[in-house]
Amino acid sequence: MNLYEHTIVARQDTSPAQIKLLAEKYSKIIEKNEGEIVQTEEWGLLNLAHIIKKNKKGIFMHFKIKGAGSVIGELEKNEAIDKNLLRFMTVKVKKFDLKANYFQKKNKQKKKK
Amino acid sequence: MPTKKRTGNKKGKQSNFAKLSIFQPNKYKFKKSCPLSVKGAPEVDYKNIKLLKKYMSENGKILPSRITNVSQKKQRELSLSIKRARNLALI
Repeated sequence: MNLYEHTIVARQDTSPAQIKLLAEKYSKIIEKNEGEIVQTEEWGLLNLAHIIKKNKKGIFMHFKIKGAGSVIGELEKNEAIDKNLLRFMTVKVKKFDLKANYFQKKNKQKKKK
Repeated sequence: MPTKKRTGNKKGKQSNFAKLSIFQPNKYKFKKSCPLSVKGAPEVDYKNIKLLKKYMSENGKILPSRITNVSQKKQRELSLSIKRARNLALI
């Protein structure tokens, strides 16, 4: 069993309902392949540093997955076809740091202001 | 012949400087320690954009470690995580 951090960037004009569907779809794929989702984070709409496929903004989602390498293979196979996604990235980690949420903090501060 | 004389002078100066540095150690030290390997330093991560931006130029290039005094090990981690963040268009 390995630990992975997986992030998805979706198009900015996908509706919130569609994003929920996306998250469900991929979490189902993970569970089918005997993977386990430890944590999900929604970073929300962020400005992209450079334009990707004519998009200036993207909706970021972050998964922390525990499972074998075959899970990631299945995930990325499906994500490469998906037209709603701009980018995806998986990073293999030795330890999860579940405390530090660099993007959620910012959102909370904005809401307080 | 003149070259030999010069080298002799240089050696003499160096030895003098070394003696000085014994007596006044603090004034002649220019080395800084690595800011990322001190105790309590933040971990290098591709999600921590604030930290990564400190070690990049305004044009988005990675700053060399001879300017930032980052240790070789941490510099490798930095460059990897900066490249990951670039892929996600965070930086």
